[in-house]
Amino acid sequence: MKNISGKLNRDVKALKTLLPAEDILTFAFTSERGLAFTLVYADPITDKELLGEQVIRPLLNYEGGAKAKAIGEKLTSPELRTEKALEKLAEEVLAGNPVLLFEGADEAVIAGTKKVFVRAVAEPSTDVVVKGPREGFIEDVKINTSLVRRRFKTGELKMDMLEVGRRSKTAVAVCYLEGTTKKSAVDDVKKKLGEIDIDYIPDSSYLTHFLSSRPYSLVKQVGTTEKPDIFCAKIAEGRVGLLVDGSPIALTLPYLLIEDFQSSEDYFVPPYRATFTRLLRLFALIVAVYLPAFYVAAQLFKLQLFPVKLLLTIAGSIRDIPFSPSLEMLLVLLVLEVLNEASIRMPKYVGMALSVVGALVLGETAVSAGFVSTPAIIIIAFSGIGLYAVPNLIEQTGVLRLVMLLVAGSVGTYGIVLVTAFVLLYLVTTENFGVPLVAPFSPMKGRDLRDSLVKYNLGSLQMRPETLKSPNKRRLG
Amino acid sequence: MKTNSIAPRQIFFFLACVAPAGKLVLLPARLAEAAGNNLLFPALFHLVLSAAAVFCVLLLAKRRESFYALLQGTFGSAAAKILCSLFALFLLFASFLPLLEQKLFVQSVFYDTLPSVVSFAPFFLFLAYLCSKPLSSFGRVWDILGPLAVAAFAGILILSAPSADYAALLPAGAAGGNGFLQGARAGASWFFDAALLIPMLGKIDYRKGTAWKGAACYLAGGAGVLFFLATFYGIFEGIATNQLFAFSATSKYFSGITVLGRIDYIFIYALALVMAFSCALPVQCAAECLLQACGRKKYLPTLLGVGASALLFALSLLCDYKFADVLAAVSGLLYWLFPLFCLLVPALMLLFLLKGGRRETA
Repeated sequence: MKNISGKLNRDVKALKTLLPAEDILTFAFTSERGLAFTLVYADPITDKELLGEQVIRPLLNYEGGAKAKAIGEKLTSPELRTEKALEKLAEEVLAGNPVLLFEGADEAVIAGTKKVFVRAVAEPSTDVVVKGPREGFIEDVKINTSLVRRRFKTGELKMDMLEVGRRSKTAVAVCYLEGTTKKSAVDDVKKKLGEIDIDYIPDSSYLTHFLSSRPYSLVKQVGTTEKPDIFCAKIAEGRVGLLVDGSPIALTLPYLLIEDFQSSEDYFVPPYRATFTRLLRLFALIVAVYLPAFYVAAQLFKLQLFPVKLLLTIAGSIRDIPFSPSLEMLLVLLVLEVLNEASIRMPKYVGMALSVVGALVLGETAVSAGFVSTPAIIIIAFSGIGLYAVPNLIEQTGVLRLVMLLVAGSVGTYGIVLVTAFVLLYLVTTENFGVPLVAPFSPMKGRDLRDSLVKYNLGSLQMRPETLKSPNKRRLG
Repeated sequence: MKTNSIAPRQIFFFLACVAPAGKLVLLPARLAEAAGNNLLFPALFHLVLSAAAVFCVLLLAKRRESFYALLQGTFGSAAAKILCSLFALFLLFASFLPLLEQKLFVQSVFYDTLPSVVSFAPFFLFLAYLCSKPLSSFGRVWDILGPLAVAAFAGILILSAPSADYAALLPAGAAGGNGFLQGARAGASWFFDAALLIPMLGKIDYRKGTAWKGAACYLAGGAGVLFFLATFYGIFEGIATNQLFAFSATSKYFSGITVLGRIDYIFIYALALVMAFSCALPVQCAAECLLQACGRKKYLPTLLGVGASALLFALSLLCDYKFADVLAAVSGLLYWLFPLFCLLVPALMLLFLLKGGRRETA
């Protein structure tokens, strides 16, 4: 690796050769004693006001020699480093940190005057709570780490900064509590991050692919959250957290499936209420996935499943429908998915019109025209709502519902039983970072069940989850 | 817990909750046909003998050696390979009746009209997939299926018990010794649970008391089966012999069904899920025995799984309308194979090892 030579013009030229982009600018100035300086900086991401205030102004009346240490002492910037290697200096410029070169330099000085564009910390739209903290992560990793640091006033909280991505050099903060998180888990995460060979990381979701033991799996294997309170609670249980620059979604590892049935609010309401809502989420999810499939299978293969009066009602409403039950249900499901996709992407002012079109034109008119039956619309609507009871699993459960529907239409209820068996077997055999996905149910951990679908009061949750194998087992006095 | 081992708790779940599920379909009608109102006695006889065999096998698990390693230590490599392969053949043979039983059950209970022959075919895909997984993954499955089976079984019993007249079981012993023997012979092919534990030897994470706790769990599950048999006979009495798919038939007389619909199907589906796994277990155990005999090679588990599934699929197609003949052959002519492999093999293995152990000590 080539170092700076101490000849200002040659060093500036060498740095500009490494950084030929037009937005890499230089600013030359001289101190009162005649020492020549040149600042090399990336124009769009450098705070020039700060640069003038903390670097240029103090140096105009600099009277010392050409020593990086002495120059550094004169500057008022709190983030200062020195570096010799030209390639490292180029990386710093690209990261938004200006490089100060001077005649006769032994080392260059790097000033931390990066310009940061951030939005305000706000409540995330994906995880709204009635009771509890409303802060959400934003796209800046430094602010996100500060949100975490504010919650742990202990030196045990470690935030190891790594860079991932050959060209993006995305900053990733690996957060964990030393002595609480299993060391091998931290090492494994760092090792996997170190092995990633990709040029650009636009979002944390890119990392999940590399951190999963089964990257092509339908099942999620990395936990996600947009809320610092949830993130910190998971770290306190003994997990490793990842904050990725440019992404408001933090990752947590190892991930357990039960995490997505838990909400942060469950810990701020009485335990009986939390238990009720968790069971309700599970019920809603089961109904959402199975109801359309069972409705189709019952119509095609097993009419006995309907009570007699309901059967008469259904028979009346499907009498003139031109499609088979499975095709009818698939069409309604497809329309729901299209409406869902469109409503998420459409501008808000069009959303209202879309609702009217979706609910009235497509729903009401399709029923009165005899294309689809009312029960089919009710079932798909209920299923659609139910799926959102566990929003973090929507990608997986949406696909599963479709698979169930297809199998129910071709093999009937036994097909549904078999797909369930497949899914069950797949889930119990999936592990990530040595932790089974469906723990604490399988393998069953009696003590961990106290904060699973059932939520005990805080006094009963004295120990950290056994599944995570934390070296510091006790969390309550 | 190690990922490739089976915890005692998981074995207990299997013995107490999952193993009884396979005895709720055809066995009640078969026992009622052979022993009449004394159907409980042959069932109890088999349960006690099987519990003793379970105890023996779990005692063998204490040595933490595989079935093959135990045989090899006693008889040498060549004999161990032959015996392991023989045991695998027996397990494949034993798996066939439950498989056909499940097929008939599915075709009769899950469909209003008789479905096509291939409607049961997806089960064999599941079987092949299951066989490609290590046997120890069953342990984790039992953690989920255990509580599910208990809930489903309890649900069916709650819906069925009010309709039963338990006095139909009296007078006890009316069928006499002959009835008992007929019942014992007819029911033998449903009690091979101890044999299923043998391929798991070396994988069971044995702890103090596992053997007697396992036998007690098996008896507890057996008590549930006996209660179900009593309820079944109490409901159907003289026509019990015609009620082939017992656990789907007993609960349909619950008074709430006219208003709520067949809510008992929730429990029937849950038990069908348990049965899908319990039907697949003997096949995977057979594959495991063959693996132990042949030595583990990279694609062998998948190949064996696919091969066993394909063979059973072909046989099930061939015997589609010959279930009565298969039943007569398995539980009439070849019933003696079950006590031979399920009771005698564990007892003899224990005896040989005890003798070998004494000699080593001496």
